[in-house]
Amino acid sequence: MDIEEIRERLGNMEAWVNKSEAWWLETPSLDVEKMARLMVETSARLVTVTASRAREDEFRVIYHWDLQGRLLNFVTITNQATLPSITSICPAADWIEREIHDYFAVNFAGRELPTLVLSDQDPPGIFSWNFQWKGKEGGHA
Amino acid sequence: MSYTIPIGPYHPALEEPCKVQVICEGETVQDVSLFVKYNFRGIEWLAERRNYHQAITLVERVCGICSNVHTLTFCNAIESLAGLTVPVRAQYIRTIMVELERLTSHTLWAGIAGEVMGFQTLFMKCFALREPLMDLLETISGSRIHYGTNCIGGVTRDLTDPEAARTTIRRVRQTVTDQLIPLFTTDKTVHARCSGIGKMTKEQALAWGAVGPNARASGLTEDIRRTSPYAAYAKIEFKVPVETSGDVFARVVVRLLEMVESCRIVEQALDQMSPGPINGPNFVEVPIGEAVARSEAPRGELFYYVSSDGTDTPCRVKIRTPSFVNLPTVRLMMLQANLADVPLINASIDPCYSCTSR
Repeated sequence: MDIEEIRERLGNMEAWVNKSEAWWLETPSLDVEKMARLMVETSARLVTVTASRAREDEFRVIYHWDLQGRLLNFVTITNQATLPSITSICPAADWIEREIHDYFAVNFAGRELPTLVLSDQDPPGIFSWNFQWKGKEGGHA
Repeated sequence: MSYTIPIGPYHPALEEPCKVQVICEGETVQDVSLFVKYNFRGIEWLAERRNYHQAITLVERVCGICSNVHTLTFCNAIESLAGLTVPVRAQYIRTIMVELERLTSHTLWAGIAGEVMGFQTLFMKCFALREPLMDLLETISGSRIHYGTNCIGGVTRDLTDPEAARTTIRRVRQTVTDQLIPLFTTDKTVHARCSGIGKMTKEQALAWGAVGPNARASGLTEDIRRTSPYAAYAKIEFKVPVETSGDVFARVVVRLLEMVESCRIVEQALDQMSPGPINGPNFVEVPIGEAVARSEAPRGELFYYVSSDGTDTPCRVKIRTPSFVNLPTVRLMMLQANLADVPLINASIDPCYSCTSR
């Protein structure tokens, strides 16, 4: 399956953009479960997922897939800091989603999110806007 | 009746913190949980609070074993953003450095594997072989780890004594082909400990996103040096060893053959490189934008995402290390394994917990 067919099957009207030797598709309303099923169907490998701050309460999330050596990047935005989990479709997403939850408190709906790199008692979202470190005595905000 | 055994967080197979919690019935593993929360340093967060040059020093500390490939990949992402072209000689020096690093990493792993198997002679052999490689890296960079050779637009040091590198690589290649490969592949002890255990199928490797020698020992063929060449790899001939049995022994064989290929790559790079500049301008303006870079680290694909708002500090630095995606596959390999094989299966993926937690 070529990347144009992937775009059409996702129902996306934006064109692929080629930058830094990778292909990028910006879709704020991306159906991430449909995208994940499609990529698994094409034997693509989930490389990772990158989250970053988009605005105060939402996050920009990029799903990076390797399709026969080509790096495809699907860019979307969280809705109320939430996206559907794709772990049941692609098990490689398990630790990735847990790590993003640790860093940004993004919720991946449809699964439990135990801490991955943080201690059990640490609150998620240490990279997010509201986190304030108060030192060892004060604990987390 | 089942019982739970916590292995770690200290010395689950090697001297780094990770807890492998195993549920057994008799001596057969029924389930496994992994805990990797003992090494978190917030390096991505810290990198977003330092300028690009300071961040290079920081990302070099993600890992003590494959530090050079971290700075290389980070620099590749920045150079892609800034539209910089790296001088040809610098590309060859980068290639030599990452292959020497792969050799030290694989010899370290082979030594630890020998020790975990209870084969102390093999451990001593591998670590004796690693020493001249460390000496060579020190000769080139001034340091045995954290070489500090990559900078934005090139490298910080020239390779001034190629003959010393040739001599060491010739010796290493000979020891690997004449001694290590026969020892690992024909010895009955190694076969008895490694064959048929810790299996991962090709389908499992793909579904769980396994990379590097672990994936290639299960029949996947991808090597970033081949599929998305960087540094001088497009100009160099090398084989990508692939095995299909997916067990610990296959992972041993893939890494041993990769060591021979690394020697070939270094030899070709030394032959091909010609005099010339080794870096570009001291001050680089990074425009607004985002870029990704991938490279083949000793443990597999290393991925960096960097975004810029046009200032001297990156907006976002995302680091996905190979161990982060390889470690979850340990659970698949350990299911139905014998409890005594758990440390060896864990060591067979060459995990780096420092990389995983960052």
